[in-house]
Amino acid sequence: MVEREISYRLFAKEFNDSTFNIHAKLEQLNQSEGRAPNFLVTPAGLRINRLFVVGVVTEIDNIGTDNDLWRARVVDPTGAFIIYAGQYQPEAAVFLSTLEVPSYVSVVGKARTYEPEDGSVFVSIRPEEMNVVDASIRDRWIVDTAELTLDRINIFSDALSSGLKGSELHEYLTMKGAPENQAEGIVLALDYYQTDEGYLKDLKTALRDGLRSIDLTGSGGSAVEADNEEFILGLMKEMDVGKGVDYGELIGTARSRGMSENAVETAVRSLLSNGQCYEPRIGILKVVS
Amino acid sequence: MDDKLAPHIEELTKALGNTNVLMIREELETLLKFRVPMEEAKRTVLRKFRSTFLPVKQIKDLSAGLKAFEISGRIIEIEEKTVNLHGNVSTIFSGTLADETGACSFTAWFDFSLKKGDAICIKNASTRSWHNRPELNFGERSDVLKIPDDSFPELEELTRTSPKKLNDIAYTDMTTSAVAMVVKLYHKNIKMREREMTIIEGVIGDDTAKLPFTSWIPLSDVDIGSVIRFDGASVRMFRGLPSININENTSVTIVDPSFEEVPFTFDSISQKPGPLPIGEILLKDGLFDVAAVGNIISIRPGSGIIQRCPVCNRVIQKNTCRAHGPTESVQDMRIKVILDDGTGAVSVMLNRENSEIVYGKSMFEAEEIIRTAMSQDAVFEDMKRALTGKYLGVRGNTSRTEFGVTLVAESVWSPDDDMKVRVSDLLGLLEPVGENING
Repeated sequence: MVEREISYRLFAKEFNDSTFNIHAKLEQLNQSEGRAPNFLVTPAGLRINRLFVVGVVTEIDNIGTDNDLWRARVVDPTGAFIIYAGQYQPEAAVFLSTLEVPSYVSVVGKARTYEPEDGSVFVSIRPEEMNVVDASIRDRWIVDTAELTLDRINIFSDALSSGLKGSELHEYLTMKGAPENQAEGIVLALDYYQTDEGYLKDLKTALRDGLRSIDLTGSGGSAVEADNEEFILGLMKEMDVGKGVDYGELIGTARSRGMSENAVETAVRSLLSNGQCYEPRIGILKVVS
Repeated sequence: MDDKLAPHIEELTKALGNTNVLMIREELETLLKFRVPMEEAKRTVLRKFRSTFLPVKQIKDLSAGLKAFEISGRIIEIEEKTVNLHGNVSTIFSGTLADETGACSFTAWFDFSLKKGDAICIKNASTRSWHNRPELNFGERSDVLKIPDDSFPELEELTRTSPKKLNDIAYTDMTTSAVAMVVKLYHKNIKMREREMTIIEGVIGDDTAKLPFTSWIPLSDVDIGSVIRFDGASVRMFRGLPSININENTSVTIVDPSFEEVPFTFDSISQKPGPLPIGEILLKDGLFDVAAVGNIISIRPGSGIIQRCPVCNRVIQKNTCRAHGPTESVQDMRIKVILDDGTGAVSVMLNRENSEIVYGKSMFEAEEIIRTAMSQDAVFEDMKRALTGKYLGVRGNTSRTEFGVTLVAESVWSPDDDMKVRVSDLLGLLEPVGENING
C-alpha cells in the first residue's frame, strides 16, 4: 500500500527558492509498482510532492487562449505562491473564476516546476482543493508553518555542523531521530544547493517577520474579530424590518450591548468586503440573504 | 565506456542490495552489446538478480502479503499437524520463530526436519495474514538452512517476556507482561461452544498508552482503579491494534501502589490525551485513545447523508443491501476527512453526532438542503465549502485498513490554543537571529 503524501507546510520564500526537481528513479518505480511521484527539493531540505498553504489571493487572471487557464497569486508574509488551474482542475478553476480579490484561501496542491531551455526554473502549485477561509486560519497557518520550518532549520543546522555528507550524513540524521524524508531531503539539498548557515539565517529572518505580521492586538486577535462580525451580522438581521439598517442606529445598538464604535466599524468593513452585507443606499446596510 | 556505466551500475547495486557488482556489470555489458537501450537493459538486470538475491528481512519488518524474501531466526516452538487439504491429508509444521526483534508464528508446508531451538535461515519465504498478523510461510520451493547456533540469543532469552510499556507492545509479541491500571471494566456474557460464560472486558493503561483487554478467567479483587501485574498474557491483533488477553496461562497479581511505586495514577491515565503529531501516530498500525490536531485538507466522497441497512448497518445504495438484498433504509450522516498537520495525513471518520458538531448543521437541516437543491450531492458540496482548510481536533482510536490508517473519532473540537503564547515562544527562539543581522 502506498501511503498518502503529506501536505507539507512551507512559506512562499522557501518554495520559490527551490529549483531542484527530482523525477522518479528506476529503483523507486520498481519498489512502488510503477507509482512514484516527482519531488521538489527545497534549499532547507524539504522533499515535497504535496503542500498546504493559506494566504491572501491578490490577483486572478484567465491566461488561457483556447481553454480556460486560471492563474492566481496567493500571498503569505514572505512572498507569493503562483497557482495554475486549467481544464484538468475543473473544481479549482470554477472556484477561482468566481473568487473575489482579495480574500483568504486555503490551497492543497502538488508542487510543479516549469523549466524553460535557459536553465531557469519556475515553481507553481497545481491545486487539488481550494476554499475560502477566515483570518484566524491564516494566522494559525503562519504559526504552524513557522514552527515546522524552524524545526527543520534546526536539524539542517545540526547537519551542517556535523560536517558530514552523503550517506554518512543520512545515517547521522536518522540516528538523531530525523524523519526519513527529512534526512533524505537534507542530504539532497546540501549536495545541490550547498545550503549554508547564511541561507538558514535568511529564512529565520523571514519567519520572524512573518510572525510579527500577525495581528494579535485585542484579547485574542482575529478570533474575536470573527465573533464581532458574527454579532453584528446577527444584530443587522434582528434590526432589519425590511428596508435595511441605518448605520448610525446600528452603532448605537451595538454600543448599548458593549461593543466599541471602532469594533463595529471594523466588523462592518470586513462584512462589506466579504460580501456578507451591502449598502443599498449610503448609510443603510443590508444583509445578503 | 566504463565511466559512463558506473552510475547505472551503482543505481542497480543500490536497488538490489548487497549484490556482486562484477556480475551486474557483466550482465549489463552483454545486453548493451546487443544494442538494448540502457533503461530496458537495467530493467532486465534488475529482474534477473532480484530472484537470486532476495531481500533480507527481520521479524519486525514483516507485514502480510510479502513474497520471496530471506529471514533468519530461532525456532522457539514447533508442532506437527495433520491437515486435510482438498481431500489430501498432509502433514504441516507450525510454530513460532523468533529473532532479536520479535516473534512470529510460521507454517512449514514441507518437512524440513526442524526442531525446537534450531537456528535457521529461510530463503524464499512468504507471509500471509493470519489472525490479523503476518504469518511466515515456507514450503517446497523454499530453502531452509541450519545456521550457526550462536547467530541468535539462547532459547530461554527469546522466550522470556520481560515487562513492557503498553506503547511498546506490538504484533511481534505473541505474549507479553506489563504493569498497568484498569481504567474501564465490565462483565459480558457470551456463548462459547454452546456454553454460557462470563468474560471481563475493559481498558488498561500505563504512562505510555491505553489498550483494550479481555480476561477469559475471573479476576478476583480486580476493579476499576486496580493496578495489576500480568505475566504471559497473549497478544491478539485487530486492524493493527494489539489487545491483551488474559487466560489460564497468565499470572495476574495486584500491585499495591502504596508499597510499590508506579509511574502513573488514575488521574494521569484518565486525562484527555494531548495531541500527537500525526507523523508519530502513523508509525503505529493502531493506537488506542489518541488525539490529533490538523487541517481538514480534503472531504472524501461518501460524506454526507447516507442510507444504511436496518439489519447489518452497512451503507447501502438504491435500497439494496449487499448482504440482505432489497430493504428499507435508515438515514444517517457521516463525514470522512483527511486530517493533515504537516507531519502526516490520517483519514478521520466522523459519526452522525460528531458530523453535526463539525458541520454545524443537523442531519435534518442537511436533508432540507438536499430537498431544496434536489441533488444528493448538495450536502457533500456544502460540507466541502464549509470545512476544507479548517482546523479540527479529534480524539479516538486508530487502526490500519487497506486504505491506510483511519482514526474513528469519539470526540471532536475546534482547536483554540493560545496563539499569543505560541507566537511569543517562537519569536523568543528567533530574536537572536535578528540581532546578528541588524548588528
